Amino acid sequence: MSSNLLNVFKRLNITAATQIRLCSSVSNVVPDNREISVTKKEWKFPPQYTKPREVWIENLDTIEEKKLGLFELHPLVYATVPRIDLIHRNVEWQKKYRWVSWAHTKTRAEVRGGGRKPWPQKGLGRARHGSIRSPLWRGGGIVHGPRSGKTHFFMLPFDMRIHGLTSTLSAKFAQDDLHVVKDLELPTEEPAYIIDLIESRNWGPSVLLVDDTDYAPRNITVATDNLPHVNIMPVYGLNVYSMLKHDTLILTHSAAQKIEERLLIHLHSSITEQQMKFKLSQV
Amino acid sequence: MGSRQITEKSLVMLRSLPRLSLANIRDNPGSKHYPKRGRGQHSGDKHGAGNKGSGQRQNYMRLGYETGNNPFYLRMPHEPYYRGHHHRREYPPISLLEIQKLIDTNRIDITKPIDIASIVKSGLYRFFPDQKHFGINLTDEGVDLFATKINIEVQWASELVIAAIEKNGGVITTAYYDPHSLFLLKNPKKFFETGQAIPRRMIPPPDVIEYYTSAEKRGYLADPEKISQERLRLSQKYGYELPKLETDQYFNMLCERKDPRQIFYGLEPGWVVNLKDKCILKPRDEELLQFYAS
Amino acid sequence: MATVWRSQRAFARFFVGKTARILNNASDLGAKLTTASISVSSKQNYSNYAHSPFVKNIKEQYEFEIVKNPPEWAYVERLMPFETIPNVTPKAAYPSGWIPPKEEARNLPYFIARTRNHQLPIYLDLSYRGMRKISMIKKIDGDIWLLNDLIKEHLKKTQNRYVETRVHELGRFIEVKGDFVTTLCNWAYAQGF
Repeated sequence: MSSNLLNVFKRLNITAATQIRLCSSVSNVVPDNREISVTKKEWKFPPQYTKPREVWIENLDTIEEKKLGLFELHPLVYATVPRIDLIHRNVEWQKKYRWVSWAHTKTRAEVRGGGRKPWPQKGLGRARHGSIRSPLWRGGGIVHGPRSGKTHFFMLPFDMRIHGLTSTLSAKFAQDDLHVVKDLELPTEEPAYIIDLIESRNWGPSVLLVDDTDYAPRNITVATDNLPHVNIMPVYGLNVYSMLKHDTLILTHSAAQKIEERLLIHLHSSITEQQMKFKLSQV
Repeated sequence: MGSRQITEKSLVMLRSLPRLSLANIRDNPGSKHYPKRGRGQHSGDKHGAGNKGSGQRQNYMRLGYETGNNPFYLRMPHEPYYRGHHHRREYPPISLLEIQKLIDTNRIDITKPIDIASIVKSGLYRFFPDQKHFGINLTDEGVDLFATKINIEVQWASELVIAAIEKNGGVITTAYYDPHSLFLLKNPKKFFETGQAIPRRMIPPPDVIEYYTSAEKRGYLADPEKISQERLRLSQKYGYELPKLETDQYFNMLCERKDPRQIFYGLEPGWVVNLKDKCILKPRDEELLQFYAS
Repeated sequence: MATVWRSQRAFARFFVGKTARILNNASDLGAKLTTASISVSSKQNYSNYAHSPFVKNIKEQYEFEIVKNPPEWAYVERLMPFETIPNVTPKAAYPSGWIPPKEEARNLPYFIARTRNHQLPIYLDLSYRGMRKISMIKKIDGDIWLLNDLIKEHLKKTQNRYVETRVHELGRFIEVKGDFVTTLCNWAYAQGF
């Protein structure tokens, strides 16, 4: 309860000033200057106008938070104007592109029966009909109804997907929900350890851990195995939906580096195969 | 100051708002246009299909049909304006100004010879060999402000363009590439990944051999002596001093030319380039060597 | 296999003088093609089954050598596409008229970033068959309202009339009603963007 209140107060804290510095969520830990390593980056695409962001490199070894270094993040990836509409479009795309609708109705040709003319054209004083399964009839076929196996596949334009990722990362960073961690090494494989860690550091109940590689260390894998709200993901699996679904996003130092690198390359490259309009007829 | 900056303002605003989640995002109002269903007096009833006839019964007449009289598209007899268009070669143009822009923005390396592969690599030249495109046509837009010394190889160039390039101390050659070679030049990476041996470039077809053997057009099959005579003639015609190439520091680069059977600079036909292992497979067999050398 | 032989014979007549192997970047070859060198032999009709000789010694595998780290690799690297658009190195002059962005422009309260192709993001939007002309300045950072005021002032001075603009903060662009792309570009270059 108290941690929730703390969260609320944190949210309401509006920082003025031109630069936004990421404040540590637990401010009573004084970093030991001797251990801090400030990594000054050599930018391949130097930030033009917006200042680069700085973030603490934290640890997962102890429940208590320790700051192991300071790390710079590129503004074009972690400090862009968060385009909520692009984030929405990305989420919509992720939900719809793999949806196959299995609803199915029969047309007048598929409904059983209805081959014979029910009564002669003239003479009876009744309305003229050709078959008992025409759409006008009760029990007849459905016109323009759903047809089974309807795919809703479409590809969102490449730039929209890139900007969706950068907007979500920027939004997460601005709302203090993004933390950079040195690596995913845990001292024990007890799930209780992770739960305690998350509680004490005021990270949201659901946490997404993003690592550079496909394989994570044993301890963290075992600890998070039965926790549905704590998930590990490799860098190439990063997507807008998962980032929004989980409250906090934890990136390893190398993962943050890689994400930045790849996104910057896509933002500065000429038309590549990925950026060309997606054609269903591609070979 | 800080609150007026767009990025800072939006990020600061986010800090005071609830956490961004799946439940509080939406698209920009007015961005989605839903189709209107036909209901009511105006768009309902017959739903814009009119009364009776092929229109309402969705049994439309074919396009161009004029209900029986001789239609417009059949009144005029066949006039063969485009006869044989599919046999003609096209040379999509690129101007000297464009080339200068590419050089200024570092998209073309002038310390190496420029050919169609380097221009396509820059990404700003639309070239589709499958649409009867046979190469580069260097046009004379920007001939006054062109000021770079380059070794360029195109497929078509006018006299003014040749003069402009040679005035700046450069070298221009016109060369022919058959369509297969052009596909290779357009996307060399894709070709190397197929693992095929680099083929030989084919000789020009009969109707264009004269062009590529003429010294006036700096053809790649022309006599070098005649070419130097032509260089002198052009310098006298357009009134500039013919620069001495021999004393130039880039003399070797400017003299680099491809063999008539060579497609890429530095790579001979018959070689297989392995991009993954960074090695080249060269044939040693006498038969193959003779074939690729012919 | 047979086709290899035939093509060799066919082209041998064209390259009468060439005995040596193809050289890398041979400079100024004197391969002259004259009408005399093209002639058709009528002694052996290769397309006829009866006259066509049997192929002897079909090889399953041709000999080849693998050259690791070849000296010609530089030529292969040259052919590979760019991963990212190359940065522009400072030069003494740019004859094409391209103006590089200046460092001092970053100290202004507003900023117009260049596109990935190092050009100014000022475009002309034409619609209604060319009747509606809107000049759009995109990729704006910093104080957009101040930039808007300055642009309006500048256009009022140069055009001697009030010019309507539209500011879109979220989209980070300003739309100016009318075709003022050249004026705006010149103004932006003067500011150093």
